[in-house]
Amino acid sequence: MIELAQAASTGEAVFFWILAPIALGGAVGLILARSAVHAALMLAITMMCLAVFYIMQAAPFLGFVQIMVYTGAIMMLFLFVLMLFGRDSKDSMFETLRGQRFFAICLGIGLAALLSAGLARAVSGMTMAPEAPWATGAQSNVEAIAEALFSTYLFPFEVVSGVLTVAAVGALMFAHVAKKGGHRGQKEHSRERFAPGVYPGPRPGPGVFATSDSTATPALRPDGSIEPASLSEYVPPRQLTAAETAPKHTEGREG
Amino acid sequence: MDEISYAPASGLLALSWALIALPALGAAVLLLAGRRADKWGHWLGVATIGAAFALAVGMFASLAGLDDKSAHLDLFTIISVGDLQIEASLLFDPLSAIFCMLITGVGLLIHVYAVGYMAHDPGRRKFFAYFNLFAAAMLVLVLGGNYFMTFVGWEGVGLASYLLIAFWQLKPAAATAGKKAFLTNRVADVGFLLAMFTMLGALGSLDFAAVFNGAATLSTGASLAIGLLLLAAACGKSGQFPFQTWLPDAMEGPTPVSALIHAATMVTAGVYLIARSHVIFSLNADVQTAVVVVGALTLLFGAIVGCAKDDIKRVLAWSTVSQIGYMFLAVGLGGAAFALGIIHLLAHGFFKAGLFLGSGSVMHAMNDQTDIRRFGGLWRVMPLTYATFAAGWLAIIGLFPFSGFWTKDPIIATAFAREGWQGWVVGGAALLGAALTAFYMTRLFVLTFHGPKRWTEDVHPHESPAIMTGPLVLLGLGSLAAGGLMASPVTTWLTPVFGEHHEAHGHLSHMQVTVATTIVVVLGAALAWLLFRGGTDEVPRAASWPVRAARADLGGEAVNRGVFERPSRLVAGVSVAVDARGVDGIVNGLSAAIGGTSRRLLTMQTGFVRSYALSILSGAVIVVAALMVVVVQ
Amino acid sequence: MNEAQGLQIDWAGLAPMIIVFAAAFGGLLVEATVPRARRLPVQVALAVAALAAAFIAVVLNSGKNAAAFAIEGTGLGSVVLDGPGLFLQGTLAILAIVAVLLLAERRTTRGGDFVAEAAVVADSAADRAQQREDGATEIFPLTLFAVGGMMMFVTAGDLLTMFVALEMLSLPLYLLCGLAKRRRLISQEAALKYFLLGAFASAFYVYGMAMLYGFAGTVDLAGINRAGVSSGQPRMFLYLGVAMIAVALLFKAAAVPFHMWTPDVYTGAPTPVTALMAACVKVAAFGGLLRVFNVGLASSAWDWHLILTIIAVATMIGGAIFAVTQRNIKRLLAYSSIANAGYLLVGVIALGDAVGQTMFYLAAYGFTVIAAFAVVSLVRDGDEEATHLARWAGLGKKSPATAVVFTVLMLALAGLPFTSGFTAKFSLFAAALQADELGLVIVGVVSSAILAFPYLKVVVLLWLNEPAPDAPTVNLPSPMAGTVVAAGVAATILLGVAPGPLLDIVDQASVFLNT
Repeated sequence: MIELAQAASTGEAVFFWILAPIALGGAVGLILARSAVHAALMLAITMMCLAVFYIMQAAPFLGFVQIMVYTGAIMMLFLFVLMLFGRDSKDSMFETLRGQRFFAICLGIGLAALLSAGLARAVSGMTMAPEAPWATGAQSNVEAIAEALFSTYLFPFEVVSGVLTVAAVGALMFAHVAKKGGHRGQKEHSRERFAPGVYPGPRPGPGVFATSDSTATPALRPDGSIEPASLSEYVPPRQLTAAETAPKHTEGREG
Repeated sequence: MDEISYAPASGLLALSWALIALPALGAAVLLLAGRRADKWGHWLGVATIGAAFALAVGMFASLAGLDDKSAHLDLFTIISVGDLQIEASLLFDPLSAIFCMLITGVGLLIHVYAVGYMAHDPGRRKFFAYFNLFAAAMLVLVLGGNYFMTFVGWEGVGLASYLLIAFWQLKPAAATAGKKAFLTNRVADVGFLLAMFTMLGALGSLDFAAVFNGAATLSTGASLAIGLLLLAAACGKSGQFPFQTWLPDAMEGPTPVSALIHAATMVTAGVYLIARSHVIFSLNADVQTAVVVVGALTLLFGAIVGCAKDDIKRVLAWSTVSQIGYMFLAVGLGGAAFALGIIHLLAHGFFKAGLFLGSGSVMHAMNDQTDIRRFGGLWRVMPLTYATFAAGWLAIIGLFPFSGFWTKDPIIATAFAREGWQGWVVGGAALLGAALTAFYMTRLFVLTFHGPKRWTEDVHPHESPAIMTGPLVLLGLGSLAAGGLMASPVTTWLTPVFGEHHEAHGHLSHMQVTVATTIVVVLGAALAWLLFRGGTDEVPRAASWPVRAARADLGGEAVNRGVFERPSRLVAGVSVAVDARGVDGIVNGLSAAIGGTSRRLLTMQTGFVRSYALSILSGAVIVVAALMVVVVQ
Repeated sequence: MNEAQGLQIDWAGLAPMIIVFAAAFGGLLVEATVPRARRLPVQVALAVAALAAAFIAVVLNSGKNAAAFAIEGTGLGSVVLDGPGLFLQGTLAILAIVAVLLLAERRTTRGGDFVAEAAVVADSAADRAQQREDGATEIFPLTLFAVGGMMMFVTAGDLLTMFVALEMLSLPLYLLCGLAKRRRLISQEAALKYFLLGAFASAFYVYGMAMLYGFAGTVDLAGINRAGVSSGQPRMFLYLGVAMIAVALLFKAAAVPFHMWTPDVYTGAPTPVTALMAACVKVAAFGGLLRVFNVGLASSAWDWHLILTIIAVATMIGGAIFAVTQRNIKRLLAYSSIANAGYLLVGVIALGDAVGQTMFYLAAYGFTVIAAFAVVSLVRDGDEEATHLARWAGLGKKSPATAVVFTVLMLALAGLPFTSGFTAKFSLFAAALQADELGLVIVGVVSSAILAFPYLKVVVLLWLNEPAPDAPTVNLPSPMAGTVVAAGVAATILLGVAPGPLLDIVDQASVFLNT
C-alpha cells in the first residue's frame, strides 16, 4: 500500500482518500436506505466516484462511459420507474426467518474481513505494471479499447448484442399484454354503447331503501326486488347481516 | 500355483450365452406381453427354465468330455478405454457348471411348484417374469468370465430379489423387508465395486485369469483390501454376520421365492464369490481367518436364534443363515475344504429347497398360517408332504447315511484340523452348531407334524395338488441321496478349479469327529423330541385356542421344561435380543438415520431466496477461507 | 484499424455458434412477421434445422485444435476450438434438438406447457381465459440464444468471453423458467429466485476475474496458468480469484452448498425447460469447470484441491441424502442432479486423467434425464402434471409401456449394469482412481448406493402397488415427445451395452488446447 501510494502522484492520492470513503459510504447507504429513491441516489454517488477513479487510472473512456451510461441513463431510468411506482412504496423490513439477519451480517462481515485481510497482504507485495501505451501517449485509450474489442474480444462483443436482445424480449414478454381484437376508436365504443339491449345511461346507484351506499349493495326496484343492472361485474354483491343493518347508535339520542 | 488360462469355447459350450438368454427372453416376453399372457405365461416361464436346464445338462456332459476343463467365450467388448478392456465374457468351468445345474435344476422344480402355489394370485404372470429374470441374472453371476460380469449378475439378482420380496407390497412387513434387504445388499454392492476398483488400480484388469495370475504380485495391503472387500460383499449377499438380519425378514415374499432365492441359489452367491476368488483368499491368512470367524459366528448365531422362533419359515430362514455359515467356514478353511463347501452348498440347495416347499405346502393347507404352535399332527393328513419334509429334516441334521452327513461332517473334521487353539475353537463351534441344528430342526418337525393337533378352528388341512407334491418328492429324493452320491465325484470334478489337496489331519481323526458328531446330533434330536412330542403351551391363550390338547399330558412335561427348556430359551432369547437391538438396530438405525438426516437438513430449504443467498454466501466464505488457509501454511 | 488487419478469423470454426445465434435472431423476426397460427411449425423447424446444421458444422470441425481468432498466427484466447470444446458443442447441439422437440409438444395438454402471455396477472380471469390458448412461441428463439451461449461457454478460452457466455446462457433461462402455463406463481417465483441468485453468483465471478487479472495481468486461461508458475505477483490474488470464480461456476453446476436454487427452480419451471436445464446446462457448466480448472488453474491444483474435494464430498453425500425423502418426482430428479454434479466434480478434480470420462458421463446423463423429464410431462392429473410420487403408484398396470420406459431410466440413474448410468459411473470412477482419488471414489460409490434407494422405490411403486381409482392418465405423446423419450431410452441402453465407440471418441477428444 505504501509503495503504491508513493508511486501515485500526490493529487491522485488526495482525490483517492477523499472519494474512496464517499464511494464506500454510498454503497453501504444503498443497502441501509429505507426509501428506494434514496437507495438509487446513493448508488449514483458511488458510480460517480468510481467514474472519477477510472479517469484517474488513465482510463478516460471508461470513466465517461460510466457517467453517461450508468449514472446518466440507467440510474435515471431507475428513478423514473420508482417515481412511476410512487416513491412512498417501501419494502417491509421485517425479518421472518430466525437467525437470517444475524448470520447474514456475520457472514457478510466475515467475507469482507477475509477479503480485505487477503488484499492487504497481497497489495503490499504487488509490483507496478509498466506504463500503458496510452499513458505515455503512444496510443490513445479509445484506440486501445477499440483494438481489444475488435480483435481479441470481437466474438463476445457481438454476442453481447444477443444478451441485450434477450433482455428486451424478456421485458416485453413479462410486461406487455397484447390487445385482443383490433383497434377500437370512439366510433366503435359509442356504437357498442347504443347497441340494442344495452342501457346507454349510467348504472343505477344504490336504491332508495338501501341501508348502505356501498357499490356492493344492490339497487332495489319499487317492488323490492334487486335491479340486476346495479350489480357490478367485479364487486361481489353482499347481503348485510342483521347486526350490520341495525342502528349504530350514532344518532346521539342515548349519548 | 500354475498359470491359469481358460480354453476358448467350442461346440455346444459356445452356446453358454443361450443359458442366460432363455430365461431372459422369458422374462421379457412375460413383462411386455401384458395381460394377454396371463393364461399361458407361467408355462412359458417353466418352459424357458426347463430348456435352460436341458442345455446345462448337455453342456455339463460336453465339458466332462474335454481334457482342458474350461470354456471361455468372449461375446463383445463393453468398455474399451486406453489399456482398460472389459469384455462381456462367459466362463463355463467345473465350478460354474455345478452352479448352472443347481440353478436351472432346482429352479425348474420350484418353477413347477410355483405354478400350483401361485395359482390363485392375480399377479402370477408378473411373478414368473421376475422369477425368470432372477434365473437369468443368477446365471450371469455364475457364468461371468470376469468380475465385471459377475457384478452385473450380482446387481441383477439384487434387483430381482428386491422385487420378489416386496411382491406382496400391500403387506407393510413385506415392504419393510424389501427395504431392509435392499439396504444390506447395497453394502454388498459397495464392497464388490470397491474391490473391483482396487483390482483395476492394482492389476489393471478384471479378468479372472489376469487377476488370479497377477495375484501373487499384489502387495499385502492390496490383497488384504481386496479380500476383505470381497468378504463384505459376500457377507451382505449371503446373509452372514453382521448382515444376517435381512434374510429372515425376506421370508415375507411368496414361499417359492424363499425356496429359490433365499435358500438354494442367491444367498449362496457369496460362497460362489469366495470359491471363485480362492486364489486371492488363499494368499492372505488374515483374510482366511476373517472368513472362518464370520462362518463360525454365523453358524452358531443362526442355530441359536433358530431355536427360539415359532414361525415355520423363519426357523428355516435362520437355519439357512446357519448352514451358509458352514459353507463360509469351509471356504474360509481353504485347501481341500473349498470343494467341501461347494458340496455342502449343493446338498443344502436340495434339502433346503425341499424343506421350504414343504413348509409352503403346509401353509397352503393351513390357510397361510406360519405359527408352528398352531400345527401338530399333520402327518396323517399330508402324508406326502410329511415324508418329503422328513427326508429334508434327516438330511439337514446330518444323520448317517443321509445327505448332510456326507457334506457337513468333513467340514467339521477340517475345522478341527486347523492349527493350534483355533482348531479347537472353530471345530467346537461347528460341532455345537450341529447339535443345535438337530435340536431346532427336530423341534420344528415334531411341532409341525406330530403331537396333538393345535389347529385354529377354521382350518381344514389337506394334501397339496400333484403339481406341488411332484417337485417335493423329487427334492425329497435328492435330499436323501444327493450328499452320499455327490461327495466324492464332485471333489474330483472340481479339482481343475481348486487344484489337488490332501486331506488335512489335525486334533481329531475323521472317525473321531464322525462319532462325536453323530452322538451330539442324536442327543440334540432326542432332546427336542422328548420336549416337544406333547406339543407346546407357549402360546398366548387366545379365544380360538382349541382346548383339545389334554392339560394332563402337558403337566408331565413341567419338569423337562424347567430343566432344559427354560435355560435354552433364555440363551435363545438373549441371542434374539442381540439380533433385534444390536445388528437389526444398526440396519434400521442406518435407514432411519439417513431418512432423519435428510428431513432435518431439508428444513434448511426454506423456500426464501434470501436464505438461499445466505447459503451461497456461507459457501463462499468457506471456499475463500479454505484457500487462504493454504496460503498461511 | 490498421492494428486489426492481421486478424485471422476461423469462420468455419465459429460456424456452429453463428448458425445458432443467427437462427435465434431469425426466430425473433419470425415472431414479428409470421401470423400467430403458423408460428409454431416455422419456429420448431427453424430451431431444429439450425441445431442440426450446427451439429454438422461441429462434426466438420472435428480434429481442429486451435484458437478461432489469431493475429499473424498467434492465437487469441477468446474462442478455443479443441477436442473437449467441440465434443461438448456437439453434445449440446444434439441434446438441444431433443429438448426443443419437448418444448414443442402440444398434444399431451392443450396448447402445451407454456403460457400464451406471461404479462397477464396469474390466476386472474384473463389468465383463466388464456388457459386454452397456444403457448408463446418466443421460447424457441430464447432457447436458441441459451444454447448458443452454452456452446460459447464450453469453448471460451478467456474469463471475459466466458462471462459473456455465462450471461448469454443464463438470461434466456431465467425467462423460460417463468413461462409455465399452470401453477404460474410457482413458476414466476422460480424464475425470480433463479435470476436473483444467478446475479449474486455472477457478481462473484466478476470479482474473481478481477483478482485473477491482478495476478496474471491477463484474463486468458492459458496465460493465468503460465502465471501460476512464473508470476511474481502475490499468490493471494490467485487464491481469491480461484475462490470467487469457483463459487460462481459451482453455483451453475449446483454443488452443495450452492445448490439451494435447484429443487425450487426445477419444480417451478415448465417441465420441458427443466429437462433443458438438467441436460444442457449441466453439460455447459461442467464443460466450463473442466476448462477453467484444466487449462487455467492446473498449475495451482495443489492449492484448490482440498476445498474442491470437500465440496465434491458434500455434494455427493448431500444430494443423495436429500433425495431419499423426496415425495415429488421433479424434486427427486433435482436432488439427484445435485448428487450427479458431485460425481462430475470428481472428474473435474481428477483433471486431465478424467476429462474424457467426465464428458462421457455428461452425454450419458443428459440423455437419460431429458427422457425422464419427458415421461414426467406425460403423466397428468387432468391438465396438471401428477408430480407427487404417490400418484404414480401402479402405473405399470395402467400403462405398462410408460412404466417400462421409466423403469429403464430409473435403473440407469441408479447405475445398474447395462445402462449408460453404470458405464458412465464406472469409467468415471475408474479414471478418478488412476488419478489417485481413492477417497473420492469410495464416497462416490457410497453415495450412489444411497441414491439408488429412492430410484428403486419409484420402480417398486410403479410395478407393485395398486393404482388408485382416480389414477392419473398417461397422455399419449405426439411424435415430438415420443421422439424425445425414444431417443433418451435408446441412448441410455445403447451407451450401456456398447459404450465403446463413444468412449473412443471422448478418449481422442480429451485434451484441451494449451495444457
